[in-house]
Amino acid sequence: MSPYAFGFEPLFIALAVAAALLYWRAARRDPPSRWRLVSFAAGLFLIAASLNSPLENLAAHYLLLMHLLQNALIADVAPLLVMLGLTAGMRDALRRRGAGRLRSRWILPVWLLAWYLTHLAPFYNWALRTGWGLNIEHGILIAVGLLFWWPIVTGRLTPPAGLAYLAAAFVGSVFLGLAYVFSSHPYYTFYEHVPRLWGLSATRDQSLGGILMNGEQTIVFLLAIGYFVLRLLDEEHESELTVGRQG
Amino acid sequence: MRLRRRGRADRAGWDRIALFALGLGVTLFAIVGPLDNLADSKLLFAHMGQHVLIGDLGPALMVLAMRGPLLVFFLPAPVLAPLARTGWVRRAFGTLLRPRVAFGLWAANLAIWHVPYLYDLALEHQNLHDFEHLCWTFCGLLVWTLLIDPGSHKRLTVGARVALAAALFAAGQILTDVLVFTFTPLYPYYHGAYGISALTDQKLSGIVMMAEQLLTLGVCVALLLRPRWLPRSRVATA
Repeated sequence: MSPYAFGFEPLFIALAVAAALLYWRAARRDPPSRWRLVSFAAGLFLIAASLNSPLENLAAHYLLLMHLLQNALIADVAPLLVMLGLTAGMRDALRRRGAGRLRSRWILPVWLLAWYLTHLAPFYNWALRTGWGLNIEHGILIAVGLLFWWPIVTGRLTPPAGLAYLAAAFVGSVFLGLAYVFSSHPYYTFYEHVPRLWGLSATRDQSLGGILMNGEQTIVFLLAIGYFVLRLLDEEHESELTVGRQG
Repeated sequence: MRLRRRGRADRAGWDRIALFALGLGVTLFAIVGPLDNLADSKLLFAHMGQHVLIGDLGPALMVLAMRGPLLVFFLPAPVLAPLARTGWVRRAFGTLLRPRVAFGLWAANLAIWHVPYLYDLALEHQNLHDFEHLCWTFCGLLVWTLLIDPGSHKRLTVGARVALAAALFAAGQILTDVLVFTFTPLYPYYHGAYGISALTDQKLSGIVMMAEQLLTLGVCVALLLRPRWLPRSRVATA
C-alpha cells in the first residue's frame, strides 16, 4: 500500500455528521452569522479530514511527525473553530444541559493530564498497534480540546483570568514538545519499526514532531493571549469613555 | 539613603534597598565571576543566561526598587538638576521612552546581537563585547521603565503594559524557537563543553531565555493584573 493512500477512522465522520445535524437543528431556532457557520464547518472538516485522508495513513503507519500534526489539528485548532461556531443561544442551551457547571480551575488540569497521558509511550504504542485504540486517543484529544476552549469562548473569564488560564496552559503543555525536541532516542517503539519515509530517522522524525507541536501551540496560544490583551485594552477604553461622560 | 536621612524612610524602605542590591548583585554576578568565564569560553547557554540577567532581570529589579519619589533621589541634585533642565536630554529620554521606540530598540537589539557573525565577533573583541552588554542593559532599562512606570508618568495604561509584555515575550519566542528548533549549531565559537554537545547547548540557551522571560514578564503581568483578578460577578457585587 502506498504511504499516500487514504486511511480512515469512520467513527469521526459519523460524529462530525451528527454534530453538523445537531448544529443545523439548533441553527433553525438561533441562526448563526456567516462567520460562525464557516468556523463550525471548518472545525468539523478539520477533524473529519485529518482522520480520514492520506494524513491518517501516514500518521498510523509511517511518521510520528504526521501523527503529532494530526493531534495538534484535532486537539487545538479544530475544537477552537467548533466552539467559535456556537451562537450565544447554542452556548446557553449547552449551559442548561450541564456545561454551565464546568469550571476552568479543573478543566485545565484535566486537559493537561489528558494531553500528557495520551502521549505516554505505552498508551501511544498500544493505540497504534491495535488501530482501534487510535479512536480512543483521538476521541480523548477532541473531547478535552472542546472542554479546554469552552471557558474561553463563553466569555465567562475576565481578561486577567483568561490570560492566567492561557499562560498556565502554555507553560504546562510546552514540556511535551520540548521532550520530543531534546530527546536523542525515539520514545515510541512503534515508529522505530515502520518503513522510513523522506529520509527521516526515527529520532529526526520525533524532533520535527516536537518542533511542529511547539510551533503550533505557540501560535495558537499567543493569538488567544492577544485576544484577551485586546479585550483588556477595550475595557480600559470603555471605562475611560465612561469617566469622560461622567466628567 | 538620602531620602531616609530626610526622614522619609517610608518612601525608601529596606525592601527597596534589598531589591536594588539584588538587581545590582544579579548584574554583577552575570558579568564578574564564574558565569562570565563559562559564557566567554565554554557554553552558549551560560552566555544566554548572562544576557537575560543583565538585560532583563537585573534592570527589572533595579527599576522596581526605584519606583516613586525614590527615583528623583537616585542621582545627586547637582547632577540631576542640570540634566533635567537640558532640553535635548529631556527630548532624547522622551523619544526613547515612547513605547514603539523602546520596543523597537529592544527587539532590534535582540535580533542584531544574535546574528551568528556578530555574536562570534563580539566574543573575539572585548570592547565590542562590553558594548553588547551595555546595549542589553540599556534596552532592558527602557522596556522595564515602561512596564513598571517607576515615575508614574502613565505613558501606558495597565492594559497597554500587559500588551507590551506580551509583545516582548512573542518577540523573544521567535529567537527561542530558532535556537531550540535548529538542527545545526548556529554559533561556531561554541563547541560544547562538560559533555554537553554544541547543539544541546544551543537548545538549552533557547530554554534559558524562554524560562527567564516567562518568569520576569509573567510576574510583571500577574502583579499588574492583581487588582483586577476578581471574577466579573464578584466585581459587580463589590
